[in-house]
Amino acid sequence: MERLSLCLRNLGRHAWRTRIILLIALLGAFLTFLFENLVEDISRKQSDMFGRAFSGHFLVLEKDIETKNSFGFYFYKPEQMLSPGEVDAVRMFLASLPEVSGTQERIVFSGLYYGTKDAERGFRGVAMDMKEFNRNFTDIYYASGVPLQSGEQGTCAPSWYEYSREKNLEIGKSYVFLLPNREGEFVDRSILAKGGIDYRSMPKDAIGLSSIFFDLAGFRALVGYQEPLASEVVGFLSDARTSGRVLPRIQAWLDTREPRLKVVSWREYAPIFAEIVLGFDVAMKAVETILLAICVLLVVKLTTFSIIERYSEIGTLRAIGFSRSDVTLQFTLEGFLAIAAGAAVGFLMAAGAIAVLHATGVHNKAIFWSYMIGDGFRPSFHSGKILVVVGVFFAVAVLAPLFPAIQGGRLSILRTLEKR
Amino acid sequence: MAAVRNGITLTGLCKEYRLGKTTVRALQNVDLEITSGSFTCVAGPSGSGKTTLLNLIGLIDTPTSGTVHVAGEDIQGLPEKLRTRYRSRTLGFIFQSFNLLPVLDVFENVHLPLILHRELTPLAKKQRVLEMVEAVGLGDHIRHKPFELSGGQRQRVAIARALVTHPLIVLADEPTANLDSETGAEVLALMEGINRDRGTTFIFSSHDPRVMEHAARVIRLHDGRIEAA
Repeated sequence: MERLSLCLRNLGRHAWRTRIILLIALLGAFLTFLFENLVEDISRKQSDMFGRAFSGHFLVLEKDIETKNSFGFYFYKPEQMLSPGEVDAVRMFLASLPEVSGTQERIVFSGLYYGTKDAERGFRGVAMDMKEFNRNFTDIYYASGVPLQSGEQGTCAPSWYEYSREKNLEIGKSYVFLLPNREGEFVDRSILAKGGIDYRSMPKDAIGLSSIFFDLAGFRALVGYQEPLASEVVGFLSDARTSGRVLPRIQAWLDTREPRLKVVSWREYAPIFAEIVLGFDVAMKAVETILLAICVLLVVKLTTFSIIERYSEIGTLRAIGFSRSDVTLQFTLEGFLAIAAGAAVGFLMAAGAIAVLHATGVHNKAIFWSYMIGDGFRPSFHSGKILVVVGVFFAVAVLAPLFPAIQGGRLSILRTLEKR
Repeated sequence: MAAVRNGITLTGLCKEYRLGKTTVRALQNVDLEITSGSFTCVAGPSGSGKTTLLNLIGLIDTPTSGTVHVAGEDIQGLPEKLRTRYRSRTLGFIFQSFNLLPVLDVFENVHLPLILHRELTPLAKKQRVLEMVEAVGLGDHIRHKPFELSGGQRQRVAIARALVTHPLIVLADEPTANLDSETGAEVLALMEGINRDRGTTFIFSSHDPRVMEHAARVIRLHDGRIEAA
């Protein structure tokens, strides 16, 4: 307490210098904590965004299906699809994995329709449970028209690309669709484009995924599947970065229990988005490193100034019995207190900023940021990052003033007393 | 020269400094005994080696050759840790320009050396400080900062700081040089009183004949040699 009191007095004496150290530490901690949480959020966000998943979105499907670009060629005969037993077993197993945030069963197929502009147009059909449509991991929602009802037959929800950009389909009108039946043949059916689906966070101008969505139960009834068959089970990782260890575990389980099935990730986009996240992470880390380096250098410089100004005081302290380590401790403690106080304020300010951003969401339309975080991105706290930032700034607070403090402790008593 | 029990013995003490290519002999073969509890003045003109002598006894400087024994122990041969302990427990320093910490008030300045005395309770430390501040007549100025005090009052604070650890020896380098003659006399009287009452050994330097009059013993230095002791 006596030392602490002495430190506080000395910090008060060098008020402008203390304020600069406080400000540097504040800024450093603020930006570091903010960046660390944002990068963490972005990495996780990658996982639960449809279409941009960095392996965070994976498929369990039949081994013979080619999935190079994930728009695979699917069989439609019952024996070639995943049976209800297989679907249930896979979903149950996936649900037991802590890294998996959700699962869906789907029928994915290629189809044709006769739209407004074109005579004939191919599309990627996705039949899925519409009750789960607004779940976070689907990343899609109705932008126009009326949501599909569960079990509804003869209706579809075209993507934004189909109903708005290309204007091939008009919401509320019926069109002729060629859809597969259970024998693998394509059959003409009249389908009502009931509701239009927008991709919540994808840059629609840059990626024109022309999918058309159907309710799974309604689609099964429409094409004549009496059994609850599916062409794939989709799984979502809460953090895409876990894919490296989770996917092999799933595959190992499939090899043992369901040898006909395999697990694949969204290979098409994985490298692109992995690189974007990595690049962003590296950029943020570089900024953090520069900030920390500036923080350390300024603290070293300012502590050195303090020591030079207080040469005579060091001599006096040494003469009355302070050891070299006592003097070192004194200056280190002073630097530590200034940095720790500034960093604590910066940390709290960053926490406040994240809380505000979480409440309001980050709204943006820029393509890059739309890729990275989507519109309405809500950053959150990550306990691991609290430890990282506190640990880093504790180390900075101890180490930055240590070198000049050691130099101060080593000064000759005679020389320092002569400096008055 | 045999070491004096409980006193200070300097044997063949030399101190040389290099100033460029010139060697300055600050002290030359000084042999000296100072008995415990004495009130000794080291006198001499400027550059005679007074401060160097005090610095060597106070372990602020190291001799080129020779030994310094305090209570029979060769203090210059002590390792760094024990040298620090010696300064903290055995010695008290009074400087010509007071060397008070400007951010601390009277109480805190006097209390400063006691930070290192972990064997004392906070209450015991407080009592010691109050006792010393009263002893130097600054009881009414306990919360004053150094800039709020006169030169004489500052030197009294420095004396209290030097004595608060109950040292055996107090080294005072020109303690009255920055004070007017009246205040200087008051400070010397205070030091004499403490020497008489507590038996603390005082060794102070001065070139002022009026200051020398107060000393029980005057050691005269000239060009680094003892002229008279």
